[in-house]
Amino acid sequence: MQEDTLAVVDTLTQAYADQWSGPAVAEDAGAFIQFMSSNELIYVVLGVSLIIWAVLLFFLFRVDKKVSKLEEQIKSSKEA
Amino acid sequence: MKVWKYVVAAWMTLVIIGGFLIEIPEIPILEQTARNIFFHVPMWMTMFLLFVISFWYSIKYLNDQDMEFDIKASSAASVGVAFGVCGLLTGSLWARFTWGSWWTFAEPKMNLAALALMIYVAYFVLRSAFDDHAKRAKLSAVYNIFAVTTIPFLLYVVPRQLTSLHPGADGNPAFSEITADELRFILYPAFIGFIALGYWIYEILSRYKKVQFELENS
Repeated sequence: MQEDTLAVVDTLTQAYADQWSGPAVAEDAGAFIQFMSSNELIYVVLGVSLIIWAVLLFFLFRVDKKVSKLEEQIKSSKEA
Repeated sequence: MKVWKYVVAAWMTLVIIGGFLIEIPEIPILEQTARNIFFHVPMWMTMFLLFVISFWYSIKYLNDQDMEFDIKASSAASVGVAFGVCGLLTGSLWARFTWGSWWTFAEPKMNLAALALMIYVAYFVLRSAFDDHAKRAKLSAVYNIFAVTTIPFLLYVVPRQLTSLHPGADGNPAFSEITADELRFILYPAFIGFIALGYWIYEILSRYKKVQFELENS
């Protein structure tokens, strides 16, 4: 049942099929793409780990800055 | 600091080491990126849990107008969005090297996940529109209850009915006999570790907001 309905609905897959048809690395791909595609794609795993680390770090820095602001507020209210 | 935080720190260190070093079978196309399952999928699990915490405190706020509940609800939603962003970015990088594109509109889970995050971004936009604390808390609690009900539909019910490059599409279970069993040994500890880490970050943020609130009203 699903196959029939999907064939009707899923026009996007056809439209974009050539865009995700596979991980083939073209010769003229950029140095970054070639590097990431080497060594059985292990650098992609590194990249994913670094993304998570970067987002969490960004979050941490933001909270840290907010806490510093609070500390300054307390300090100035004590002086006043 | 409480003991459980040291346990989480050690646990996550082991999960990351294990995730990189465990022997995995050869899987065509995925190759070593099969390891991404240990990092990409727990992002979403952590996001779900934080949104559930946020939902819970929104209900509590509507029952009993205590500002502490509003603080907890907004902190959990904010950390949840951070994990959602991690999930989207890691998914995009993974997609580039296995599906061949940073982003594809043919992939329902990818697009609906982005939509789910937009719904939560709207939650913060809504919050920023009010100066009055009580009004902001009440309206955002109501909106948050609406927001969380969309999550299971956007990320589970609808994508499962459509063709998708994600495992678990077309009504199949995500972990079936074609998926390597060994991945579970790291994946499940990674769920626990990242969820605990997310809870930890949420706790820090809500403690900060509580101190700020008490300072403003002292």
